[in-house]
Amino acid sequence: MSILLDADVRVLIVGITGKFGTFSVKDLAQSHTRVVAGVAPGRGGQAIEGIPVFSSVAAAMQETHANAALIYVPAMVALDAVLETIEAGCPLIAYPGDGLPVLDAMEMRAAALEHGAHLVGPNSPGLISPGKAKLGFMPSFCYAPGPIGVISRSGSLSYEACFRLSQAGLGQTSVIGIGGDPVRGVNAAEAIALFHDDPETRAIIYLGEIGGSEEYALAEYAKRPDAKPSAALLVGRTAPAGKKMGHAAAMIGSYAESWAAKVEALDRAGVVIARDLDGLPAAAASALARTMKPAA
Amino acid sequence: MLVTEAQGKALLRAAAVTTPSSHELRSLDEVRDCRVDFPVAVKAQVAAGGRGKAGGIRKANSPSELESAFDAIMGMRFGGEAPSSVLVESWLDIERELYLAVAIDSRVGGFNVLYSPRGGINIEDGPPPLSYPVGLARNFRAHAFRALLEPVESDAKVRERVISTARRLLEIAQANECTTVEVNPLVVCRGGALIAADAKVALDDAASFRRAATAAAIAAARDKAEREIRLCEEANLMLVWLDGEIGLISGGAGMTMAAMDAIDGAGAHPACFLDVSGNPTPAGFGLAFDLLDRAPNVKGILVSMFGGGLHTDRVAKTLVELLARRASAKPVTLRLNGTRSDLATTILGEAGYRNHATLEVAVADIVKKVAGARS
Repeated sequence: MSILLDADVRVLIVGITGKFGTFSVKDLAQSHTRVVAGVAPGRGGQAIEGIPVFSSVAAAMQETHANAALIYVPAMVALDAVLETIEAGCPLIAYPGDGLPVLDAMEMRAAALEHGAHLVGPNSPGLISPGKAKLGFMPSFCYAPGPIGVISRSGSLSYEACFRLSQAGLGQTSVIGIGGDPVRGVNAAEAIALFHDDPETRAIIYLGEIGGSEEYALAEYAKRPDAKPSAALLVGRTAPAGKKMGHAAAMIGSYAESWAAKVEALDRAGVVIARDLDGLPAAAASALARTMKPAA
Repeated sequence: MLVTEAQGKALLRAAAVTTPSSHELRSLDEVRDCRVDFPVAVKAQVAAGGRGKAGGIRKANSPSELESAFDAIMGMRFGGEAPSSVLVESWLDIERELYLAVAIDSRVGGFNVLYSPRGGINIEDGPPPLSYPVGLARNFRAHAFRALLEPVESDAKVRERVISTARRLLEIAQANECTTVEVNPLVVCRGGALIAADAKVALDDAASFRRAATAAAIAAARDKAEREIRLCEEANLMLVWLDGEIGLISGGAGMTMAAMDAIDGAGAHPACFLDVSGNPTPAGFGLAFDLLDRAPNVKGILVSMFGGGLHTDRVAKTLVELLARRASAKPVTLRLNGTRSDLATTILGEAGYRNHATLEVAVADIVKKVAGARS
C-alpha cells in the first residue's frame, strides 16, 4: 500500500503540449507510471510522444478512464484548469506550479473538499509512491520503497532528505509534497491522516520549515495514544524573523512560527527531532524502531 | 508585501471603515501649509513592523512640535527602510483599544478572523487573540462570530460593531487580494464609535498579474530596494542578506535553509540565503559570485547544489569557467551531489577543484578555510 497513488494509476497531463508537460510524459514513463491522456484546449485529436491529446478533461477521462491528473499550466489559468479537472470527477490531482494567488489556492482547496478529490500543491513537486508510480517531477533516483511516509513543505529538501533516507536503507511508502505556499490542497493534518490509515506506513517523517503553523498538526497527532511514531526535521533555525526565505509561507511573523517554538511543541509531543539534515536518517530509524511489531 | 499605513487606510476608507482625519506629508513645506487641530499624532510611513516601539509615532501639540517631529521621523530608519512620508492625524479620545484582523492561515486553509478586547502596542505579550476560522470570505457568518465573541467581549454594542467591521475587513481582503488586513488598535472612542487608528495591510504578490495596485506597489518597492536585491530579482535569484561570514550559494528554498543551519551547526554563520535554482546558468552563478566577492563581510563561499532535475555536470562546467576568470581571492568550496555528480567530480577534478561528497564535509571545509585565512 501507499497513500493516494498506486501502481494501477492512469495519469492524464493537463498542459501536455508545454515544456513541462512533454518532459513529464518521458519522465513518468521511465518511472513506470502509465500516462493515458493529455489535455490541451484546441489540440484535441493530436498526439504527444504517442499519448492522445484531448481538448477537455471530461473528454479525456471518458475515453481513457484516467484517474489522476498532473497539471502544468501557468498560474494565471491554474484555477480554471484545476476546477475543470475536479468537476470532471478526477479524484487525484497534482498542481506543482508556484506563484499562485492565495485566493485561487483557497478556491481550489474548497472545490477539492466539496468533490471529495485530493489536490496536491500548489508549489510542490507532487506525490511519489516509490517503485509504484509518481505524479510529479521529483527525481526518481532519490527514492526507494519502504515503510516510511514522508510529508514535505519543500521540494529541494525532500529530494536530498529522501536520497539520504534511501541510502540508509530507509525506504518510503509515499512521499507527498504539501508545498511551500500558505494555502494548499492536502495539508499536513490530512497527509498525516492518510499515512495513519495506510497499513504499510510504519513511521511518519515530516520535513518542515519556519513560518506558518502546519507543524502543530503533527504535534497534535503525535499526542494521540494510537499515533504512529514520527520524526521531524525543520529547517530555518538560523533564519531571521520578518524575512521571506524563498517560499511564500517561510517567514517568521510571530513566536509560534519560529523554529524554537515548533521544535519545542514537537519534542514535547514525542516526535523525534533531527536537528539538521545530517541527523535525519538516525531520527527516522529511531522513530521506526518505536513501531509496534505486528503480531505474528 | 506590506504597504504603508496610509495606503492601508485608503483601502479601509473605501470600504466605509472609519479612520481618523489625516494628512500625508512629504516635505517641510507641506508641514507648514498643513492646517490641523492640535494635538496630533505624527506617524512614520514605512512598510515594516515594529514602528511604534522604535519611536516612529509621536505626539505634537503645536506647529513647531509638528515640524520637529517631522524632521526627527524622516531621519529615522525602520528595519533599514527610510520613511516615505509622515501621516498626521487628529489625536483620538480613546476609551479602549481593541485588536481586529483578518489574515491567511495555513491550517484554516484561508482567512482567519482574530479579535482581542485588549489591543495596542503590547498585543503580542498578552493572551492569544480569539480566532474565528472562516476559510473563504463568503463563509463568514455573523452569528457564528457572535457566539465566539460573547464570552470575551461583554459590551454588546462594541460586539456588534466589531462583527460588522470584521465583515468589511474580509471584503477588503477579498476585493484587493490581501493576505493580512490588521487593525491594531481599533479604538473605541468616548461615545462608542469604532475608529481604525492603524492599518497593517499585506498584498498578495502573486496576484500582481491581475491587480494593478499590487503590481505598482511591487515596482515601487523594487525601486527602493538595495541594488543587489533588485539585480537578484531581475535575474530570478532569491537573496536575503544575513550577518555571517560564509557566503552560501544553494538551490531550493528548503535546502538553502538546511545549508544555513548546517553552517551554524559547524560553529560558523551564513552571510546570506542565496537560492540560484531559478537560474542555474553562467549568468545566475556569475551574479551570485559577483555579489558575494564584493560583500566585505563574506570571507569565503560555499556552493552547495543537489541535482534533482538539475544536471550537476553542467553546473560544474559553468563553475570551472567562472572560477578561471574570477579575480577575488576569497576561498571557495564546492559540493555538487545528485544527478550526474560523477561527471561533475571529473570535470571539477580536471580543473583542479575538489567536489565534496556531502554538505557536511563541504561545510567543514569552508569553515576551516575561512578560519585559516583569518589567523
